[in-house]
Amino acid sequence: MPGTKPTAHPAHPPVPRRALLTAAAAAAGTLATACGTAKGQPPGKVAVFGDSAAWSAPMAAAGAAMKSVAGLRLVPEVNPSLESFEQVVKSSLRTNKTPDMLKYWSGYRLQDLARTGGIADLSGQWDAAVARGWADRSLREAFTYRGRVYGLPMNLAYWVFFHNPEVFAEHGLQPPRTWGDFLAAADRLKRNGVTPLHGTADGRWPSFIWFQEILSRQDPRFYDDLMNGREKYTDPRAERALRTLASFFDKDWFTPMDMNHVDAAAALVHGKVGMLPCGTWLGSTLTASGGKPGKNVSAFVLPMADPKARPAVVFESSALVATVKGPDRAEALKATRNWMHPAVMKAFSHALGDGCPNPKVPAANPVVGALAKKVRGDRLWLLNRFWEQGPPELVEATVDDLAGFLLNPSSYRKVLRTMQDRADEAWKVWREAERT
Amino acid sequence: MRAHMRARMRAHMTEIATPAPASAPAEAKPRRVRRRVPHRTPHQAVRPSARLGGPLAALPWALPAFAFVGVLLVYPFFRSVYGSFFEDDGFTSRFTGIDNYTRLADDPVFGRSLLNTLMWVAGTLLLPVLLGLLIAVATHRMRFGGIAQMVIVLPFAISAAATAVLWNFMLTSDGAVNQFLRGVGLDSWAQTWLLEWPQNTLALIVAGTWQATGINVVLFAIGLRVIPRDTVEAAELDGASGWRMFRYITLPQLRAVTVVVVGMAVVNSLKAFDLIWILTKGGPSRSSETLALTMYREAFRLFHVGYGSAIALVLSVIVVASSWAYLRRQMPDTGWARG
Repeated sequence: MPGTKPTAHPAHPPVPRRALLTAAAAAAGTLATACGTAKGQPPGKVAVFGDSAAWSAPMAAAGAAMKSVAGLRLVPEVNPSLESFEQVVKSSLRTNKTPDMLKYWSGYRLQDLARTGGIADLSGQWDAAVARGWADRSLREAFTYRGRVYGLPMNLAYWVFFHNPEVFAEHGLQPPRTWGDFLAAADRLKRNGVTPLHGTADGRWPSFIWFQEILSRQDPRFYDDLMNGREKYTDPRAERALRTLASFFDKDWFTPMDMNHVDAAAALVHGKVGMLPCGTWLGSTLTASGGKPGKNVSAFVLPMADPKARPAVVFESSALVATVKGPDRAEALKATRNWMHPAVMKAFSHALGDGCPNPKVPAANPVVGALAKKVRGDRLWLLNRFWEQGPPELVEATVDDLAGFLLNPSSYRKVLRTMQDRADEAWKVWREAERT
Repeated sequence: MRAHMRARMRAHMTEIATPAPASAPAEAKPRRVRRRVPHRTPHQAVRPSARLGGPLAALPWALPAFAFVGVLLVYPFFRSVYGSFFEDDGFTSRFTGIDNYTRLADDPVFGRSLLNTLMWVAGTLLLPVLLGLLIAVATHRMRFGGIAQMVIVLPFAISAAATAVLWNFMLTSDGAVNQFLRGVGLDSWAQTWLLEWPQNTLALIVAGTWQATGINVVLFAIGLRVIPRDTVEAAELDGASGWRMFRYITLPQLRAVTVVVVGMAVVNSLKAFDLIWILTKGGPSRSSETLALTMYREAFRLFHVGYGSAIALVLSVIVVASSWAYLRRQMPDTGWARG
């Protein structure tokens, strides 16, 4: 999670640097105490185990709303170290010491968990929510393993380009509507002494951002196929995406590759950086840096490079999961039946300040609201994020390869070959595990 | 164990040396002689019979300690060794023999990581130890030397995590170091300190030095204070001063402390972790990983538990072998070296 702690987890709004100290110190401590999390809660309460302190307050708010809807209170439990969180989850899942509910990732990470047989099938809850219009049907795939749903969406962040409308106006720019507009805007910003684009390898995981954004705009179908192991990294289309990025480097459009998101948010608000690609969850960081949504912070969906392709946007959504062996299992399942309720979702998403997977809940943040309207209105193709796509250990390795590319853009062919070698190996293992 | 045996040997020797009745025929009577005078500790004197039970008598007292070490150190160690022969993802494991070790040999990340670890060892010996010695000598008996030492020791009191955050502020491309260099017109010296190998490892070693030097200064300062005054005076009378005094008097007198400092430095550099983890996460592209980080990433991030165990074993062997070899050579006259 950017900012809050030194881990590779990119899911939630970052907290200022000061929190890093606390988090880093806490991380060491939690490693030692991590084993004793699941004791079970008294009747009427269910604990939701997560890895982000920033999600505690939203979870508590949702818990209070759930109390009035279903007579059940959700209690957040946080292990702020990504590593120990994952270890606790994976090692306890088969025991009755496991937490009742989890906040987890969607996509292949959720599948990885589902195939252990340790988490509950929530297909019924999902179908009921869709029938009532409480859930966006197109998100189903991100929470599915072998046709069954194993997680309910918690938040819905879109991957967009943040920009500063005041800076854009000063240089006579509008949010780009076409790929050409986007290139022209970057060019004009550069000529006017503003670094046009933020790119970074800081914290490891952000290395995938630019590859994901460019590839999904040049060929969303190919992106989807590649991420699901149906295409190869050595394909000319993957090469084209990296060549495009290399040309941005040639034009010197990027910030230094070690500028983290917190610093970049401040630089955007202060007009030093022109455009900042990130999930909408960065909104809270931008606000903390003095940004005012709609005034000096706004966001647009990067236009399609190929106008003939189906317009797409990348999304990110965390999964609410119920475990099979948790001590308060019955109450956990009851909670999942009420999770998508508009009152619960509203309390959660408004406290979080991000987008909501329930279309009936309006966004609290006007920028996010406008984006949601555009995405739903234009029926954009929702593509899951790079981080959630493909076997987790492949992603863990390919982000490092992409970091290598960002630091040495001319190495793109070699990088793609390495990535494909890893992909061959990882998909083989993944599919073997699938069969057993 | 060895300590125990030596204690026994010494006990025997004292028994032999005890003035026994001259007539006592060695072959007829047991050699055990009741002591009247407390030989070693007052504690023994209050016990009428010096020896209660055999050599095993101490065992119940040592048992809790053995149990602790056994459960927390010995068992996990052997369990890791055993685990390193399996391919294990945390859920299922499969015996693969020495596959994990042959994989190490082909893994470029492991090679880089090993090289970085060696750079850390060399760098830590070169910088914090040497610097610590120089600062201790320079500030010894200086006016306000104590205060100067205090200032240098301060970073040691800061946690490594906090140090890392601070150095992150210094070392990023737009960070304090580069801003300073550009400010004084040395633009060409400004670097992407943390982004490229090997300068990221070197920058991390410098950051580590900033923190680690303090404790070495303290240790050397203590060493300097216990150098006998008359030795120094004798050397002064013989006309030694400056470099010759340092080389032939101070340095040899500091030998015991140096052993401790160097030994600690070697071990600390081999287990360097927190600073690297927070500053670069071992990146970019795993270029600044040391063995400790590689082990952590493989075992706990990628859940390659067997492979991680193999790396851990390699690291343990290096740590134990190097400290043992060093201490064996350097430990001053305790009889340990002649084993």
